[in-house]
Amino acid sequence: MNKLTPGDLDQMSQVPTDKPKDWIKVGMSSCGIAAGAEEVFNFFVEEVKKRNLQIEIKKCGCAGACYAEPLVEVKVEGLPPVIYGTVNKEIATKILEKHVISKMLVNDCIFEVLA
Amino acid sequence: MPIKVILVKDTDSKRADQTRDFHTRLLDYLREINLLEQIRVVRVADIGVYEQGIVIKILPDNTIYANVADSDIKRIVEAVFKENEVVQDLVFKPKAKQCRIVLRNCGKINPESIEEYIACGGYLALKKVLGELGAQKLVEEIKISGIRGRGGAGYPTWMKWNFAREVASAEKFVICNADEGDPGAYMDRSILEGDPHSVIEGLIIAAFAVGASKGYFYIRAEYPLAVERIEKAIKQAYDYGLLGKNILGSSFDLDIDIRLGAGAFVCGEETALISSIEGKRGTPHPRPPYPSVKGLWGKPTVINNVETLANIPIIISKGGKWFAQIGTSTSKGTKVFAVTGKVKNSGLVEIAMGATLREIVVDICGGTLSGKPIKAVQTGGPSGGVIPKELLDTPVDYENLQKLGSIMGSGGMIVMDEDDCMVDIPKFYLGFCVEESCGKCSPCRIGGFQMLGYLNKISEGKGRPEDLGQLRRISQAMQKASLCGLGQTASNPVLSTLKYFEPEYNEHILNKRCPAGKCSSLVNYGIIADKCKRCGICFTNCPAKAITGGKEAGYSIMQEKCTKCGRCFDVCKFKAINKK
Repeated sequence: MNKLTPGDLDQMSQVPTDKPKDWIKVGMSSCGIAAGAEEVFNFFVEEVKKRNLQIEIKKCGCAGACYAEPLVEVKVEGLPPVIYGTVNKEIATKILEKHVISKMLVNDCIFEVLA
Repeated sequence: MPIKVILVKDTDSKRADQTRDFHTRLLDYLREINLLEQIRVVRVADIGVYEQGIVIKILPDNTIYANVADSDIKRIVEAVFKENEVVQDLVFKPKAKQCRIVLRNCGKINPESIEEYIACGGYLALKKVLGELGAQKLVEEIKISGIRGRGGAGYPTWMKWNFAREVASAEKFVICNADEGDPGAYMDRSILEGDPHSVIEGLIIAAFAVGASKGYFYIRAEYPLAVERIEKAIKQAYDYGLLGKNILGSSFDLDIDIRLGAGAFVCGEETALISSIEGKRGTPHPRPPYPSVKGLWGKPTVINNVETLANIPIIISKGGKWFAQIGTSTSKGTKVFAVTGKVKNSGLVEIAMGATLREIVVDICGGTLSGKPIKAVQTGGPSGGVIPKELLDTPVDYENLQKLGSIMGSGGMIVMDEDDCMVDIPKFYLGFCVEESCGKCSPCRIGGFQMLGYLNKISEGKGRPEDLGQLRRISQAMQKASLCGLGQTASNPVLSTLKYFEPEYNEHILNKRCPAGKCSSLVNYGIIADKCKRCGICFTNCPAKAITGGKEAGYSIMQEKCTKCGRCFDVCKFKAINKK
């Protein structure tokens, strides 16, 4: 990796982090991991591979709503970004089947919808 | 493609959940008038509003309606499709709103990717500081911002930096204090795990301000994930030339190392932390000299808390004036609070200084888990005090909390209801301080131990009225004569609970009774004969064999044998055991 110059920083700061690609972010700080986020993350990675889905599974930190961990944010084209809470393998399956594949939000599991 | 989304949640926790029913009726109506294609209705688990009946949120407008009845459905749906129209009498505007400055990237970026941090504007503040700003103007900007140390003492950050800056020395140090010892506080952990580069950038800027060439992260060993993420982040910074020699092509060099804590609360105190890094036992030193003048290995050293450092990059990017507009006249910016205890939505809340305790604990965190009224909120950890429910509308800032006999501390906030005992709580905190005392000075070593002895006596029903006077006297000695903050503030929980809850202490002393039912020696368990169904479950579960009787005659508890473990109370399905 090359040492950065100030000009490099300017350039890199223009890169949009949320490219149009679909993604799923799992909160992976201590609070999330204590609630089972690691299993959920690994489950998503496995299932996405098994089902051959074009969606990236990413990690993020603690957003603050620790009572609702494991928190999973889902961004799929055509739907607003949605944060699901207290996600387990069952809900994770519904997220993949209903939200990602059928483009339908999963009722009763949503903690926030980002307009 | 639906253009509007309606979120639905019944937020009334005291009745059976009506979310599903309302959802069905709304769907039925939309089907009737043929709007199902244009409006998507979703049942959510949490809508961010609590105890306001049925709440709905319209997106993308972000309009929230509360206490909605079936009869309101028609008007609401009509308003949804009219430009800028809302149903005024149902609109709900949340008073309390979180302000994510420190936690700006947490939950958004991958903490293990420096590229994502840079893409969010990361390290641009460092570029500004090394380029156009320079050290003098940098300190000026921090002064304008008014930011005060977030570790608990609330000391003006610019002053600390300035003192170290003005000392002529070939070698200077900066240290990030990531020891975070307060029980229940985990804000710093989340920042280190969620946005490690923001703290590194803050530390590099601090080093530049004072002229330091070496920095340390002192992270408690109980935070392995934080250590891992900071380690990774430091390596990435080195790879990109943001650490090491000639940072960003400038003439500024800085090396950063990690040092682990080893389980000592006292090592969160500046001078003890420095001792620890020097390889000595973590005991504090008298101040003056202050670390900014004579610190690590006798050199000028600036120690800043994680949250303070995480604020620095954004203060530089957006300007000190911008930061100073947030908060109160004495306490600028935001504070991250770790709200835990008997609260519904425990977690981290970042809010502008000046928000009230009620806004934080009730409006944002949903109030108590049990639904019972809040008894008090403890702030500031073992150095803090309790704020009773009558004072929950106090705006939170450094001075206000101090006036009430507590402190802001590092941001831990513990919610308590009527099942928490105001003798037991200070006993816990004092026990913690006694255990963590380094033992170097007598007031803390002996005073804390003696105070704990009194509290133990009181909670066992052996207290005497004179004990309260003794507690106050020893507290005074500890406050005036202890060498460091641990001893000076260990008595705060006791003094604070005495200030607001002295009658509860007297109940323990004079009537040998614990109103909260917590102090086990003062709690008597008894079987309520007319509720007892004689199932014998308590009998089989009693570990002390203190229950006699049988299925015919009924059961009773032998008080002399009862160890007050509470097992019978927990297993009885008929609420036939009373606890008083």
